[in-house]
Amino acid sequence: MELHWGWLIGIYLFLGGLGAGAYLTSFAAEKGVLGDAASLKKVGYYIASPVVAFGALLLVFDLGQGLRKPWLILGMFLNLRSVMTWGIYILSAFILVGLIRAYYAWKNKKSPQALTWLGAILALATGSYTGMLLAVVEAVPFWNTILTPVLFVLSALSTGLSATSLLAHFMEKGELKEGRLCQAHLALVLAEIIVLGLFIQRAASGVRGMAAQESAAKLISGSLAVPFWVILVALGLVGPFFLYAVNARKQRPRLQIQTNPPTLAEQEQAAAKLHHVGAAPAICACDAAVMLGSLSLRCLFVFAAVPIWNLTLG
Amino acid sequence: MYQLPKLPMFKVKLTRRSVLKLGALTAAAVAVGVPLGNFKVASVQAADAGASQPKQLGFYHNQATCIGCKRCVNACKSKYKWEKGAEWRKLLTKETPEGDLYLSIACNHCADPACLKVCPVGAYTKRAKDGIVIQDPAKCVGCGYCVYACPYHAPQLVKEESGAVHKCNFCYELQDEGNPPACVKACPKKALRFGDINELRKEQGVSEPDIKGLPPIELTQPSFVIVPAEHSAGEEE
Repeated sequence: MELHWGWLIGIYLFLGGLGAGAYLTSFAAEKGVLGDAASLKKVGYYIASPVVAFGALLLVFDLGQGLRKPWLILGMFLNLRSVMTWGIYILSAFILVGLIRAYYAWKNKKSPQALTWLGAILALATGSYTGMLLAVVEAVPFWNTILTPVLFVLSALSTGLSATSLLAHFMEKGELKEGRLCQAHLALVLAEIIVLGLFIQRAASGVRGMAAQESAAKLISGSLAVPFWVILVALGLVGPFFLYAVNARKQRPRLQIQTNPPTLAEQEQAAAKLHHVGAAPAICACDAAVMLGSLSLRCLFVFAAVPIWNLTLG
Repeated sequence: MYQLPKLPMFKVKLTRRSVLKLGALTAAAVAVGVPLGNFKVASVQAADAGASQPKQLGFYHNQATCIGCKRCVNACKSKYKWEKGAEWRKLLTKETPEGDLYLSIACNHCADPACLKVCPVGAYTKRAKDGIVIQDPAKCVGCGYCVYACPYHAPQLVKEESGAVHKCNFCYELQDEGNPPACVKACPKKALRFGDINELRKEQGVSEPDIKGLPPIELTQPSFVIVPAEHSAGEEE
């Protein structure tokens, strides 16, 4: 028996999450949650729509009929009971709204609040959908838990934040004011480590059935162990966690100054000092590692699928 | 706190914001929660429909009398000219000290078919008159979602061939003309039979297909009964 989903589906789920997270990063920056870097408030809006659209295009290549009878894709709007159909609606709406929102950001026009909020809601829905697509499959017990969309949404937020801040670093030529970026990174990566740990522990313990246990074994000690431990856990989660933690500690003195309101010049100085320490390159590497980890998370989840019954007579 | 700016303005701002926030929260909850809830509701409805509608065709396989000749498989294969690598019907074999144990299995035309629920293009239909689950390859977009969703591995997708899913359709065209399915007709021992599943379930020695490591029947409520080998062997002695 053969399971059909592979790299393309993994990348599609990753890009869906990245686009959603990028939009929400700019949304959060705009609301003042992440500090005051100007580029952060825009880059996420710029990349959200194209990234998700590119992912959807990859999906077309993965469909058995994608290149043979592409008009059949229009039929994917038809079954309102299918989570995949829901996804098609959510993604289409998000791509459209994201594009309009990016236009406002590009033109430096004030976007209607309703549009910005609609985009944020659709972004959250896009992130959830990438997890729900797998979570509703009862015949693959490893996926079949509410923790799947929770993990995927956390990973989406983390990846989107990384992609957006990485681009913002380049746009501001290394002069990006970190603001509360590191704390946000840290919180998301920590949450992801906890949820992934819980997820794998529950699956490996056998409480979720033998097939889920077999999936977990594939990741922990089986055929997927090397990418799981090296790329996802070490490079994508634990490594960035320590680097973000160290960097957040470095920022602490500056934050203390901020509590007795500093002048703008003082803030600039502090920020400049931080960059002289050489935090930016390390943080950029961290952002890239988080993205790689997130990509590996989606691919590993797709590859770790073990059906509830493998056609053997017990 | 008590010296807020003009009350009306504050009120308007607060209402608008809270409404937006509430909207966002609701949408998030909907995005996360509804698909699961949706499925629960759907399966309950399907179960109700199954109970109130007596006519649901199903397969019957007697493991005790099956000799493993594979004529059921071959009849299906030649009638529908399977694509290379596809298996609409399978004869599963297990070696035991008492000899080989067989199970002939195809689509179970479930009361609550998972394939039908996940298919984005609606290529699956369940006939009201007999509960046969028919998949239309002409509508299939080849996403493979049903292949993952079916616990019995009934949908067959060969990307190198047509790239569209095919599966057992219970020979509904033959049945509409009053003939039995090709696999049932080919069985020399009457080990593979078909009929109204409610009638088949009343027969002696039958069991739901939740034995021997098969998936729990609650997932899709398969229209399939088995006569386990040990059981009938004991009876026939």
